[in-house]
Amino acid sequence: MRYAEWCIAAPTLEADIAAAAMGLDDIGHSRVLYGSLRELGTPDAAADDAATYANVPYLDRPWTEWTQFVAANAVLDSAFTLMMEALANGSVDVLRTRLKKMLQEERYHTLHGRSWMQEVNAGAALERAWREALAWIGPENSDVDELHRAGRLAYGVRDLRRLLEERLEGQAAPNALEWAGWEPIRRRTQPGGIDQATLEMLQGLAEKRYMPASG
Amino acid sequence: MPYTRVHAEVHEYDVFARKTRVEPLHQVGSVVAPDDDLAMAYARATYDEERWVEMMIVPKAAIISLWAPGGDS
Repeated sequence: MRYAEWCIAAPTLEADIAAAAMGLDDIGHSRVLYGSLRELGTPDAAADDAATYANVPYLDRPWTEWTQFVAANAVLDSAFTLMMEALANGSVDVLRTRLKKMLQEERYHTLHGRSWMQEVNAGAALERAWREALAWIGPENSDVDELHRAGRLAYGVRDLRRLLEERLEGQAAPNALEWAGWEPIRRRTQPGGIDQATLEMLQGLAEKRYMPASG
Repeated sequence: MPYTRVHAEVHEYDVFARKTRVEPLHQVGSVVAPDDDLAMAYARATYDEERWVEMMIVPKAAIISLWAPGGDS
């Protein structure tokens, strides 16, 4: 959703189009991934309101600077892609096939993020995105490591951290994270949540306003 | 107001694609980008409206033109 908000605000026309395309890709991916949680034995996350909707804090509010977009694209998108790779190379058959096309699409998000990261100095935004990506991956010996030990995820927490660092080669890694306040379902340490208007769009409530009344 | 590019240097790339193996590649458009990575991302985002079986980009600078409309032939 945040990508799509930049479809007429990015620095070049080509970047506008890429923002729209990547936004559409990721909305599709998130819908499939939410539906895939039960394949991992995880109950569907409750997402009735902003307090329970599971998103990283970086996405709580619209971005005001292009560098924030670039940092999300280079860091958070890479972290999400690595988790998809871990699922696609894990032992759950349905995910192995379902995630293949997603990973093909994510390849272009990676190219986009990596190239723009070289073009602009995303500094503070990059550091924040990296910290939140590590929080999203979670602490060692949590659910991610349990799924890894069970073979369902091809990578554990340490693998994911290392692979993310490799993708961000040349960038300064954040200091060790404080895990106090970490929410295991929402995978974040900061309170708060996504803005109401975006939540309604993500839940399809915004579309329903225009549906004909039934009965 | 003149359009200001954010990149110090950009290159133009032609985009070629085809929908089936039996048809030849044809030019579907072009993109402008500072490097090959971004050019690939832009080409895929901009020209992904069809179910292409193949897509490729070529730096315009690599194309050797033999003749063109309006030139001496």
